[in-house]
Amino acid sequence: MKTIAITGGKGGTGKSTVATSLAYELSKTSKVLLVDADVDCPNDHLLLSIERKHLKTVKQRIPKFNLIKCTRCGDCGKVCKTHAIVSIKGNEPIFLQNQCNGCGACEIICSKKAIEWDSKDIGKIYFGKKDNLDFLSGELKTNQPISEFIVNHLNEEIEKNKHNYDYIIIDTAAGTHCPVIAALENANEIIAVTEPTPLGAHDLEIILQLLEKMNKKGKIIINRSDIGNKKIIGLLANKYKTRIVFEIPFSKDIINSYSKGEPITIPKILSVIK
Amino acid sequence: MKSIIVLSGKGGVGKSSITASLAVAFSKDKKIVCADCDVDASNLFLLFSLSTNKYKEWNPLSTNQIAIVDKNKCIGCEKCIDTCYFKALKFKDKIPQVSEFGCEGCGACELICPAKAIRLEDINNAYIGYSETSYGFNISSAQLLPGNSGSGKVVFEVKKKAKEIEPKADLMIIDAAAGIGCPVIASVTGNDYAVLVTEPTPSGYEDMLRAFDIVNHFKIKKGIIINKYDLNIDYSEKIESFAKRNNITIIDKIPFDKSFVKAMTEMIPIIDYDIHYTKIFDNIKKKIEIEMIK
Repeated sequence: MKTIAITGGKGGTGKSTVATSLAYELSKTSKVLLVDADVDCPNDHLLLSIERKHLKTVKQRIPKFNLIKCTRCGDCGKVCKTHAIVSIKGNEPIFLQNQCNGCGACEIICSKKAIEWDSKDIGKIYFGKKDNLDFLSGELKTNQPISEFIVNHLNEEIEKNKHNYDYIIIDTAAGTHCPVIAALENANEIIAVTEPTPLGAHDLEIILQLLEKMNKKGKIIINRSDIGNKKIIGLLANKYKTRIVFEIPFSKDIINSYSKGEPITIPKILSVIK
Repeated sequence: MKSIIVLSGKGGVGKSSITASLAVAFSKDKKIVCADCDVDASNLFLLFSLSTNKYKEWNPLSTNQIAIVDKNKCIGCEKCIDTCYFKALKFKDKIPQVSEFGCEGCGACELICPAKAIRLEDINNAYIGYSETSYGFNISSAQLLPGNSGSGKVVFEVKKKAKEIEPKADLMIIDAAAGIGCPVIASVTGNDYAVLVTEPTPSGYEDMLRAFDIVNHFKIKKGIIINKYDLNIDYSEKIESFAKRNNITIIDKIPFDKSFVKAMTEMIPIIDYDIHYTKIFDNIKKKIEIEMIK
């Protein structure tokens, strides 16, 4: 079993295009699971026209204040690093649930045991199928900040089901922060999709630095390789001792399929996994 | 100081290109400052022919803490491991090991430890500073160090920095990150107007709806720019009818144009790269100004 994560740093470089196209092609001859771990903005189901079915709701714990026990000491607010609890001595605590990450520091500090646990829904996990391709997708509820909790739940699903597959393809979010790191953590191979522009190169370099820090090897795909300046990507590949394994020229066909929500065929895409 | 945020949910729809040109348009008759709130991949400065060594100021920033375990004090009770909601602590070699990728710096382990063997230490998780453009305005920006968390807090610092370097600016223009999570929420709060940039694709549309939810949550006035609108006229119409239903102005529709990429490659804002866009962005600017006082 091989787990391949598709990332890139900059948004809109073609991560989902590569992930869906690669997964769909592979699924013609192998058992493949595609995981959409861009939980802020999951779109792989749109690209493949998959109707997603609800698998589970992801919950996060949040404190519930027992105001009979609460002595209004203000300690819970003092230890809350995300400022989800505003508590001033002498007053009932005010709780801003969107900001809470469930860390539990408030429960530990409360000497009157006035903090109990409740939960909030922060997102959903979906599953689906496109011909022989199995599909998982996570989606963060809007206005909930902690994307990586959803990614962690996807990782649990992957762990449970990985023995059923030859390949697991994980499509990550744009950027380089927590949800991307969580999505990269279990991959044995990482492919960074970039574009030959200064912005593409700048963001790619940050991903390559992250991979170095995580002790992971990455490969590079240049999308829209014929517009812009490929040299800047080549220089980065040398600097970080990685390889450009594939190039996808600018194509109106890809843009057209993309804008219509049709599966995208990239000729010879399977060569990237050899 | 008024502030405008440009966001899109989906990446690569033209958010930064539009932000850059909008900033140039506004700077013609206003004192402005830009804040690049995409702290994961801070790259707005690249659209103004600025290279990484052109920062006027670039200093380490610490907005996060990490748990440090004192081996000598640890009694091996493992309470910290059971307490950590982020599973950032693992017991190895008879001592809790902190995962730097997992630790949120919440301090629950420090509070639970009966031996006082854990303390929180500030970590340098980002760099922050600003650069000067040739258009007479500055851009505040920060870059989260690879593998670090705390992007939301870094975003607040970037906005603070913008006010600090240009306390007398009339307007702050903010470029948000892709997505809708923590850093975007931090970018959106407290603005006077939001420009939602989208493209007529299924993903562009769905992500615009997500960004719309965030902006709505904070009750911020907003308008939509449809970039590459002629890629799929059906979807463009879908976006327009959504705007109509929700009583939102379509600020402009910009056709697909390879010049956007060419301008980006040459590191010139599109408004300056192609004379045709001067008028377009001057109009966008006027429309936003009218929208803001509505």
